[in-house]
Amino acid sequence: MNGTPALKVEKLKKTYSTGVLALDGVSLEVGAGRFFGLLGPNGAGKTTLINSIVSLARPDSGSVEVFGRDAYQEFREARRMIGVSPQEINLDRFLTVEETMLYHAGYYGVPKEKAKERTGELLERFALTGKRKQRVSTLSGGMKRRVLFARALMHDPKVLFLDEPTAGVDVELRYKLWGYIRELNHGGLTILLTTHYLEEAEALCEEIALINAGTITAQGTSGELKERYEAATIEEVYLKVVGRDTGG
Amino acid sequence: MILADRPFRTLLSREILRFTRVWVQTLIPPLLTSVLYLVVFGVALGGRIKQIDGIPYLEYILPGVALMNLVTGSQMNSSWSVFDAKRERYIDEVLIAPMSDLQIALAYSLGGTLRGVLMGAGVFLIGAPFVGIGVAHPALLLLIGVLSAFTFSALGTMVGALATRIEHISFLTSVVIQPLAFLGGVFYSVGMLPEALRIATLFNPIFHTVDAARYATLEVSDLNPYPTIAVVFLLSVLAFCGAWWAVSRGPNLRY
Repeated sequence: MNGTPALKVEKLKKTYSTGVLALDGVSLEVGAGRFFGLLGPNGAGKTTLINSIVSLARPDSGSVEVFGRDAYQEFREARRMIGVSPQEINLDRFLTVEETMLYHAGYYGVPKEKAKERTGELLERFALTGKRKQRVSTLSGGMKRRVLFARALMHDPKVLFLDEPTAGVDVELRYKLWGYIRELNHGGLTILLTTHYLEEAEALCEEIALINAGTITAQGTSGELKERYEAATIEEVYLKVVGRDTGG
Repeated sequence: MILADRPFRTLLSREILRFTRVWVQTLIPPLLTSVLYLVVFGVALGGRIKQIDGIPYLEYILPGVALMNLVTGSQMNSSWSVFDAKRERYIDEVLIAPMSDLQIALAYSLGGTLRGVLMGAGVFLIGAPFVGIGVAHPALLLLIGVLSAFTFSALGTMVGALATRIEHISFLTSVVIQPLAFLGGVFYSVGMLPEALRIATLFNPIFHTVDAARYATLEVSDLNPYPTIAVVFLLSVLAFCGAWWAVSRGPNLRY
């Protein structure tokens, strides 16, 4: 990788039509190949930040670059580099598991033969081969989560957004997913993980940003944050920062 | 950038898969309803109304019934498809894909267009053996069918993207499209109406499409068909601009 950051967000502002200010000038830089964690309480702006980066939310102002490509002006190039595993399960209920993968590949312009090959690999990797002809609507919650994960990787993204990837997932699957996420990161994939499981962030992320009320309130490596806030764990850092911000 | 690139073609094929996979729900019931119209209005009432403009009644109503089916089929397809995708949020996958809003609106609109055209053609195929109808201007009929289906499919795309509740979709079908279709001269000539109703009918877009389809099939119509084609073309452009706007700037698709 060259020196271009995987993700560069500058002064991103987003107000919802209800008047809620969800992002209040967020700036963030994620280096290529980094494992970056975004922590914050519910409603802090984590999902809004991801949605604004991928154009699912329309920010009021600010700029986003993905590996130097403007996310809005050069949206095709930028979006091709991003994979998203969303917080809410959003699988197309008309499709089977295999079709979910193949259609996703098509949406990203992946040629058919390559898509078939990759579908086989990913379904195998996520233990979904036996379910490939089954409609996604008939799968269990854990399997749907695995399909979401596999789908996000279908077009071979350079940056992977994992929005609460282990929410509602049993312990066994959580550890399996952790293992796989680590493996992807070691392979060079940049990962931005949002979570409110603090131990998840501490176990996985090289760098952590705390977001609260639409602003980044603290950022650094796990060690730096613990040192700065004189805390033994990230949980303690979190409580100090978020508690301070909310007056708790 | 090519408009019909792989992402666009994939979304369009997904739209086609959606209605062909559940063809028993999407294609058969409307065709059956049309057959019932032909039986009830054509066979039962046709005994009383022998001819309109010198054409046997059953033959006279067939193009209109086909158009009515085409219009409702195309509009329902795209409005439900977009609304369902939005309600269950799987439209997000499309919205974050490397596709322009123009391509997204066009793929949804063309999916509905195809279903509409299939429905209209289906009515012709079913009705033709009984009526023995010949199409005077097949290319013109196809043009009118495609333009009409595209217009109402684009309208459906727009409403599907803007709707926040299921009632909004039902409203479009039951309160807007169906009454307009029934009052669109499918079963009668506007020449049979009182002056005020005749003038009111001229503001009904479905009337224009039905009238043009009848000309293309039977060479009889209430209006000159060529200005009508221009009107339908204009309507299709307007409806598509609406669909494009709703996908791109509408308040309820993106957050």
